[in-house]
Amino acid sequence: MKLSTVVTGKIILPVIGASFLLFPSIPAEAAAQRLEKHFSVKGRPVVIIHNIGNGRIEVKSWKNAEVVVAGTKASDKIAVDTEQAGDRIDVTSSIVDATAKPSEMEANFQLTVPEETELQLTTQTGLIYVEQVTGDMTLESVAGDVHLKEVSGYIIVSTTGGSLVCTQCAGKLEFNSISGNAQVLQPALDNVKLRTMTGNILFDGDFVHTGLYSMRSGKGLVEVRFSGNDSFDLNAQTATGTVDNEASEYLKPDSHGMKHMASKFSKSLFGTVGTGFAKVELSTYSGTIRILKRD
Amino acid sequence: MQCSELELVFEQEGLAPLSAEARQHLSQCSACKHFVEDVTTIVAVAHELPAEIEPPEHVWVSIREQLVLEGTVREFSKGKQAASWWQTFGELFRNRVLATATLAAVLVVAGLSLSRTPPETPSEIQNDPYSSTVSLLSAQEHDLANMQLASTSAVDTSLRQNLQQVNDFIADCERHAKEEPSDELTREYLTNAYQQKAALLSAMMDRGGSLN
Repeated sequence: MKLSTVVTGKIILPVIGASFLLFPSIPAEAAAQRLEKHFSVKGRPVVIIHNIGNGRIEVKSWKNAEVVVAGTKASDKIAVDTEQAGDRIDVTSSIVDATAKPSEMEANFQLTVPEETELQLTTQTGLIYVEQVTGDMTLESVAGDVHLKEVSGYIIVSTTGGSLVCTQCAGKLEFNSISGNAQVLQPALDNVKLRTMTGNILFDGDFVHTGLYSMRSGKGLVEVRFSGNDSFDLNAQTATGTVDNEASEYLKPDSHGMKHMASKFSKSLFGTVGTGFAKVELSTYSGTIRILKRD
Repeated sequence: MQCSELELVFEQEGLAPLSAEARQHLSQCSACKHFVEDVTTIVAVAHELPAEIEPPEHVWVSIREQLVLEGTVREFSKGKQAASWWQTFGELFRNRVLATATLAAVLVVAGLSLSRTPPETPSEIQNDPYSSTVSLLSAQEHDLANMQLASTSAVDTSLRQNLQQVNDFIADCERHAKEEPSDELTREYLTNAYQQKAALLSAMMDRGGSLN
């Protein structure tokens, strides 16, 4: 064996290999950087995340009196600062380098919080996901969707184009969007206000007695699926759209003697299901309102 | 002096030192006394607020829109007059302390006048209550176009697409509102659409100033 071969095989190759480990070809700032912080809390914490960049925020609960903020950021061009003041925890991302590309401004967060926690979460794109948290929450996104599962409290969701899926939610829900859809599934909500300009709305679940439900879409479909045991007064109106009543056998004339004056400019449908304990107002400008009973 | 006269004094002179007549009325009228105390408290709190911040344009649009819709203020039919009214209104808000006090006073007076006078029917409100809102929003949109972000990020793309959807929806509602001016439902949707547009433009401008 020639000396040169030995040098190549035993010395040069390991050196080349080590250089790949020490100086990876991908620039350092392009690699995702991980962060994790723990905050002890005493009572019901308030967690605020203001993500000026893009990214996903995921919140789950546990029984510990501790908030864990874990996450990744795409580059050094975005900074993540955390602050605790008593039971208030603030997480803020900010842009360090104004020339950062969108892909370099991504920060994803995973939160683990006590079951009773208040949340204020803001992101640009990327999913906001909250599961099994009780407390008031304000969730804002431009283009990201918002998925909520088994949450309760006063829930306010605002998006520009993102959609909401709220499964087994309880309490009070407000949704406001331009083009986002809203799906409310198996709810125990007693106050619902859904507004979207061009998106669709689906409410599939029971109406709580004395509950107030108002759903409006400018151009989209507003669909309500109720159960045979439900009890509510219905007021459905559209300016230029259509009302598709597929539950006419359950819908009776208003039993409370309240006179509804149908506008001559709109198509309206008034009626009562059961004894009319809840109040349901559906409206669309040019879309379709569909009312049907679940199987 | 009567309560209504005191309101008038407030509208015209604000918290300037009150005349002896006004002070005498205040000493006898608990409602007016509370009203003055409330306004004084608001102004005092306003003085403690931090340095002034220029509120976004959509705030003016929303406030004005609400006042017009409630019939508290009337739309000016001539563009020049509207601009002058608007500038005066805007100038009032330049200083944050004054802004808070003025806004409080406007809302209090609006509340008082609405509670004491029967509401106007839609037909009494001018035919096109939206004209200056429309021109304001158009001007803002024009400004935005000048600083328009070439960015193709998902967020900017989404904002632009949504603005287009809002514009299409507004055009549809405006067309229908022209055909059926008394259609309340259409007017409601149109008002909300203007508010959405104002908020969206404001968000896009903020973003244009901070990103890319």
